[in-house]
Amino acid sequence: MSVASPSAPTRPTPPGPPAPGAHVRRKRRSSRSGGFVPYGLALPALFLLFALLGYPMVRMIVLSFQNMRLRELFNGLTPPWVGLDNYTRTLTDSVFWTVALRTTIFTVVSVALTVVIGLGVAMLMRRVAPSLRIAMIVVMMFVWAMPQLVATQIFRWLVDADFGVINYLLTLLGLDYESHSWFAEPLEGWSVITALVVWAGIPFIAITLNAGLTQVPKELLEAATVDGASPWQAFRNITLPILKQLIVIVTTLSVIWNFGLFTQPWVMRDGRPSSDYQTLATYAYSTAFKTNNYSLGSAISVITVILLAAVMVFYIRQMFKIGDVD
Amino acid sequence: MAAVAPVVPVRKRRRRRPIDSDTVTVGRSGAGTLFANLAAIGFIVVMAFPVYWVLNTAFKPSNEILRFEPTFVPMSPTFDNFKSAFNAPFFQQDLLNSVIITLGAVAGAIVVGFLAALAIARFQFYGRKAIILIVLGVQMVPLVALLIPLYLMMQGLGRTKELPGVIIVYIVLILPYTVWTLRGFISGIPRELDEAALIDGCTRAQVFWRIILPLTGPGLVATSVYGFIQAWNEFIIINTFNDQAQQNLMAWLLQNQTQRGTFWGPLMAGSILTAIPVVIFFLIIQRNIATGLTAGAVKG
Repeated sequence: MSVASPSAPTRPTPPGPPAPGAHVRRKRRSSRSGGFVPYGLALPALFLLFALLGYPMVRMIVLSFQNMRLRELFNGLTPPWVGLDNYTRTLTDSVFWTVALRTTIFTVVSVALTVVIGLGVAMLMRRVAPSLRIAMIVVMMFVWAMPQLVATQIFRWLVDADFGVINYLLTLLGLDYESHSWFAEPLEGWSVITALVVWAGIPFIAITLNAGLTQVPKELLEAATVDGASPWQAFRNITLPILKQLIVIVTTLSVIWNFGLFTQPWVMRDGRPSSDYQTLATYAYSTAFKTNNYSLGSAISVITVILLAAVMVFYIRQMFKIGDVD
Repeated sequence: MAAVAPVVPVRKRRRRRPIDSDTVTVGRSGAGTLFANLAAIGFIVVMAFPVYWVLNTAFKPSNEILRFEPTFVPMSPTFDNFKSAFNAPFFQQDLLNSVIITLGAVAGAIVVGFLAALAIARFQFYGRKAIILIVLGVQMVPLVALLIPLYLMMQGLGRTKELPGVIIVYIVLILPYTVWTLRGFISGIPRELDEAALIDGCTRAQVFWRIILPLTGPGLVATSVYGFIQAWNEFIIINTFNDQAQQNLMAWLLQNQTQRGTFWGPLMAGSILTAIPVVIFFLIIQRNIATGLTAGAVKG
């Protein structure tokens, strides 16, 4: 079963017959004799994707030009068309801009922290005793496996004002944190949320980058050290260039994930985040489902997707560039 | 025509060396290594603390939980919190729902996804690249953004407040990853095997049943498990679509928090019960998740 071992997705097939002509003939045959077969095979998946992702996407855009409220939801009539009203309303709303700015700042800070710490941890893993390295991997696996909702509940409990252990530990250090509420001050509340997101995000990045570090030739680093390069120079000029592509990918993925932040602030604030704790995702959700303004919520979502589109296109281009998508 | 001399893919050999032989030792001081080891211990403690704390809390009686100065091991360990979570309203119902929904969604996604993966991995056809683009692209649309139209659509079809509607939505939720990962597994099977079988007189269907399907077995398992995790962890959609009687365990965990105030012991015990299947499955297939997400980027 070595062909389909667990690491198969990245393992290229072993070299085939040497004659290039054989490849050409082979490909041609499989492409010709396929006929309608590939379309038939892909059809169910495409149908589902179009029906449940494509159609809703179109519907979301249509909705954002209408005014759909609770009444239309129940009587099933076409909601009145309002043109660009939802967009002008959103884009002239100072709350929206505050939320968008907050989401962006959060994304930049949390992604930078996660990637820098993750890279540090990945490098650290290659220097420590083997038993410690295994312990690091085991702990990170548990953190990685933790469902978002469960992780959020745990952090909510850690920072509980009355019985939370963080307040107790800080009090032990001589600070006055007894009955301290972490969410009274938005900046403190966001520190907790950022800590949670970074804590949960480190394993993916550290473990991926650690795998990437195995590509850095040991001989090169040793030669550099012998030639008198400082550890920083060796890192800057050897390790970093080799890891660059991988860092770009994990950073892009983290940006996409963190920009859509929903669960953590939502659950931390008991499903009713005040305006200080809204992100674009929770703001769109609250607008649609708490105030039953489905159209305005859709407009906010459309703007969110547009803001993210550049990052998504970049990610897909990277995937094509790497060549795994042939 | 489309079938002009296809480019022969550049093949890179994948090497695996023992980790230790990669470690650079030249020019490293003992003090530096000591410092690194201490940093590693610090990292382990910080990362593990929340996990340790939830276990610690779940086994304490409430008089040990509700005090400012905590005990760092349960003084009188008890299973009361677990019992109380298990017997809480809707827990057992929602546990059953979770199992039904997850199995339904994974089964659906694997069948549909495998066929699509086969098309992408084994055939050259017009529109193939477009399909790859769709599969990669839809993975990135924030789910919450699509929630509004999805809800209106399901509501219009009368598919809210029941399990099948959610199952279909979850199939689509895990489909892109399923197609993408299975595509990788199928391309890992040498085409020469297909061809040898075809020459020996197999039909295409036989090639599929006797060669591709059995060889993709481990890949199917890994992909199903990852789909299971995704479907099990989802709560935003189901919490929006359904009432408590048709929700899953994650949504139960959310409701339990907001409706009954916060009883930390049972909540932490409930969190553990909810997370256990996922954590176990995750640990089994952890290697695949990283490789699936970064695709060809790691060529270790």
